[in-house]
Amino acid sequence: MAIMNKKDFLDFLKQNILVLDGATGTELQKRGMPNGVCPESWAIENPDVIVDIQKDYINAGANAVYTCTFGGNRIKLSEFGLGDKVVEINRKLAQLSRKAVGENGFVGGDLAPTGQFVRPFGDMPFEEAVDIYKEQVKGLLEGGVDFFVIETMMDIQEARAALLAVKESCDLPVCVSMTFDENGRTLTGTDPVSALIILQNLGADVVGCNCSTGPEDMIKIIRSMKPYAKVPLLAKPNAGLPRLIDGKTQFDMESEEFGSYIREFIEAGVNLLGGCCGTSPLYIAQIRKNINGLIPIPPEPKEICAVASARKTVFVDANEPVVVVGERINPSGKKKLQEELRQGMTSLVRQFAIEQVEKGANILDVNVGMPGIDEKETMVKVIELLSSMSDAPLCLDSSSPEVLEAALRIYPGRALINSISAEKVKLEKLLPIAAKYGAAFILLPLNDAGVPKSGKERCHIVEEVFNEALKFGYTKKDIIVDGLVMTVSADQEAALETLNVIEWCTNNFGCGTIVGLSNVSFGMPERAWINSAFLAMAIGYGLTMAILNPSSDTLMSIKMASDVLKAKDKNSKKYIEYFAALVSDKPVIPEKKDTASPVEKIYESVVKGDRENVRKFIDIALKDGIEPSVIVDKHLIPAITHVGDLYDKKEYFLPQLIQSAETMKEAFGILEPLLEKESEGEKNSKVGVVLATVKGDIHDIGKNIVGLMLKNYGFEVYDLGKDVSAEEIVKKVKETKAPIIGLSALMTTTMLEMKEVVNLVRKEGLSAKVMIGGAVVNADYAKEIGADGYSEDAYAAVKLASKLSET
Amino acid sequence: MEKYRGLKFFEHIPATPDKGMILTRLGYKKTTTVMDDDYRKNLMENISKGLMLCNTKGVFGTFDIINRDEESVELENGVTLKSRSLSKLLSNSMDVVLMASTVGKDIVDRIVDEIKNKDAAFGVILDAVASETADAALDWMVDFINKMIRREGKKLTGMRYSPGYGDLPLSNQKLIFDVLNLERLGINITERFMLVPEKSVIAIAGVEGVGYNE
Repeated sequence: MAIMNKKDFLDFLKQNILVLDGATGTELQKRGMPNGVCPESWAIENPDVIVDIQKDYINAGANAVYTCTFGGNRIKLSEFGLGDKVVEINRKLAQLSRKAVGENGFVGGDLAPTGQFVRPFGDMPFEEAVDIYKEQVKGLLEGGVDFFVIETMMDIQEARAALLAVKESCDLPVCVSMTFDENGRTLTGTDPVSALIILQNLGADVVGCNCSTGPEDMIKIIRSMKPYAKVPLLAKPNAGLPRLIDGKTQFDMESEEFGSYIREFIEAGVNLLGGCCGTSPLYIAQIRKNINGLIPIPPEPKEICAVASARKTVFVDANEPVVVVGERINPSGKKKLQEELRQGMTSLVRQFAIEQVEKGANILDVNVGMPGIDEKETMVKVIELLSSMSDAPLCLDSSSPEVLEAALRIYPGRALINSISAEKVKLEKLLPIAAKYGAAFILLPLNDAGVPKSGKERCHIVEEVFNEALKFGYTKKDIIVDGLVMTVSADQEAALETLNVIEWCTNNFGCGTIVGLSNVSFGMPERAWINSAFLAMAIGYGLTMAILNPSSDTLMSIKMASDVLKAKDKNSKKYIEYFAALVSDKPVIPEKKDTASPVEKIYESVVKGDRENVRKFIDIALKDGIEPSVIVDKHLIPAITHVGDLYDKKEYFLPQLIQSAETMKEAFGILEPLLEKESEGEKNSKVGVVLATVKGDIHDIGKNIVGLMLKNYGFEVYDLGKDVSAEEIVKKVKETKAPIIGLSALMTTTMLEMKEVVNLVRKEGLSAKVMIGGAVVNADYAKEIGADGYSEDAYAAVKLASKLSET
Repeated sequence: MEKYRGLKFFEHIPATPDKGMILTRLGYKKTTTVMDDDYRKNLMENISKGLMLCNTKGVFGTFDIINRDEESVELENGVTLKSRSLSKLLSNSMDVVLMASTVGKDIVDRIVDEIKNKDAAFGVILDAVASETADAALDWMVDFINKMIRREGKKLTGMRYSPGYGDLPLSNQKLIFDVLNLERLGINITERFMLVPEKSVIAIAGVEGVGYNE
């Protein structure tokens, strides 16, 4: 076979199962390659060995071999000091493969993981990854490969980088083969369908999987891909499962057993089949033997629109529930978000993403356009964040082609673009960009003349834009038409025109539709009703997507109900799930008559940790003439004592204890000045505690909690902070005459410092008692260093301090 | 940068800690601790807020064991870890994985501010979320590495070790800090070998073969 073009390759696949080779690395080892050497370099130094291996594969029945360039990228070769010889090594190895297969087979230029992780998941910039692969592609092209295979990819983003590198370098066919574990996910969490959707839309001519699993698990992966595959599928399973025996990786499946799976692979939809780790020419001979008489099943993908994140695919179709696009990540009208984005912060973006998905958004719209920021830089940053923290696919929303291109390039998924219209500039600039990255897009039926008033004219624009998109390989299932919602307060026919567009797209044209809702009610009172009614009507007319704020319970409830009524929600499952919380709500308990007295409410506030209301109840009690000392002694102290008991019994846990203690502090803060008055100016003397995290230790969160609790229980706390020397502590004790010292240390190395403090306190003849705490100390250690006590937590510290202050 | 070759950095680790572990850290007992629905809802919201404040990153590197005796383990990069118990843990290992994770500065600053000046109950919840997230990030990396090396018939030791643990002195934090180039994750180390921000953790695990019965 001579060097072929893409058409020849794809034509071959239409008629034939293409048999690929098996493992190369293990064959090289069997034939003398020592451990620890660079396989690429060794193969060049021993050309007969690699040529013989590849000839053996061809003789066993393979139609194609992969070049021995699995580690032929700059990063891998640099580990052997060969980073500057990438092109030369790849060229030579491709030439050797060419020589091995002669006229009898194809040569696939092999690209594999760099071993580093690409952003957003790892730290390697995306363009660096693309450049690394381009360098390897150059060498392989010079060596005369017939097609490319990007194999054993563990991260979809790295696979995308390699695919773009090939596509930006040549027009040869390119196969992308991911590796999925037994749970059907790649190392970075991509499922087979999402990988397929992303890669086939980005331009892979073949998609598939290799390595990680044996035939049985791999057949399941192929089966899951097949219904959505527009391209032929590839599989290269391992010879079973790996074990490390005497320092060598071995596999547990013999060639005959391997051969018994071949028919199943073909019936599942595989068009290119070979072997991975642990296989040899014997295994490939089994494939050749068992495919005899079998023909490939051509791709017959479901006609459905799919967008995908790196970990999840969302389908948009008339038979699927209406897809909700969360609209909140958009700075327009949101001052706080604007401020954050200007400062380069992203906490609100995170919050909006999590909240919207929790409330039912399937896709997140991302718009960061506003004055005063670099939109491109911000967009890239936000996409990197969202694509690593959320599984929801993204809808990239910008009017700038430059921003959209930057976003599409680094987005590790198949995005939806918001939006492309018939405006000349948009069509000319955006359509090629969208097509290059395989994005689906929202079609806005307006042109340079503006928004046509009638639905009919808008439908005409839809056809016009689609005809342009066809030239780039788009189908009707790759576009979603925005019905363009105009306000009914200006033109009462406006909503009907939008509904006409939706109906036409659904019943005549055959594509999905989307609306943004709020515009329809602009200028009207009680807008929520109009928005809700419009959503229900639009769904009735066939709407498949809606851009809305999923926090709106009314809109979401109407969407869920409409999905049931339109039979989109099979067995009403999602509806029942959505409303399960409400259905299972407890019966309404009649409100208890409020008969509690103000002091009972004060007690209750402390027990419940109700900081907000305790002040109000104290004011009422004081107005009722109750003495401050009575409130403290008869109500506050018993309340906090009760809280302590609850904590001891574990009925309360730490946040509840602290909340009650804070409420106590709040109450005490109000009453303290009055108590002083009551006792005719005699100042209530509090017990002092000098508190510190010892020298060398910087952990003070635990110590701060102890300080807070001591304060709330009426101690005077002198908190010296962290990393405090024995001398400073002693100085403070002398100055304040505090009878108690509290020391904290979290590490074994710093707990020793506690002894220094105890020694100095004793040496200086101070009577202060020393109590200690922290993760690494205990009662025995307290005893050993001569401290007066140990407490295991903040409440125990309060009790210990009380005890020590009495002795 | 040559000496850091082979390190794998993760800019966003999607590790989510088990909420039960966060509650346990706060002293919650499933059958004993009492709280009403409103309190529980609020607690869960606060935990979610904590998770949003975590900017979880990590790094790992794999290093050959050059020499191992009962007292210590010597790695290819010149690092020697002196600990009998670590050496025992690594008795079947050919390589060692050194790893670290951090939840970043934002949440640690917020914890301090809430406990000192605002809502201390919220502060302790954040504290528990941050600690558990840093641990969950290590769990995530262990899982990730296991999947990666399973293809070679290898796995990580079931247990992982940290400096300051058992007989492995805390001073080893500095050796590993340097090897893993932790400054790149925004982590610093004090003279007494403590990591800053506080919710940052270092761990050591061995790489060993998968047996026939596994």
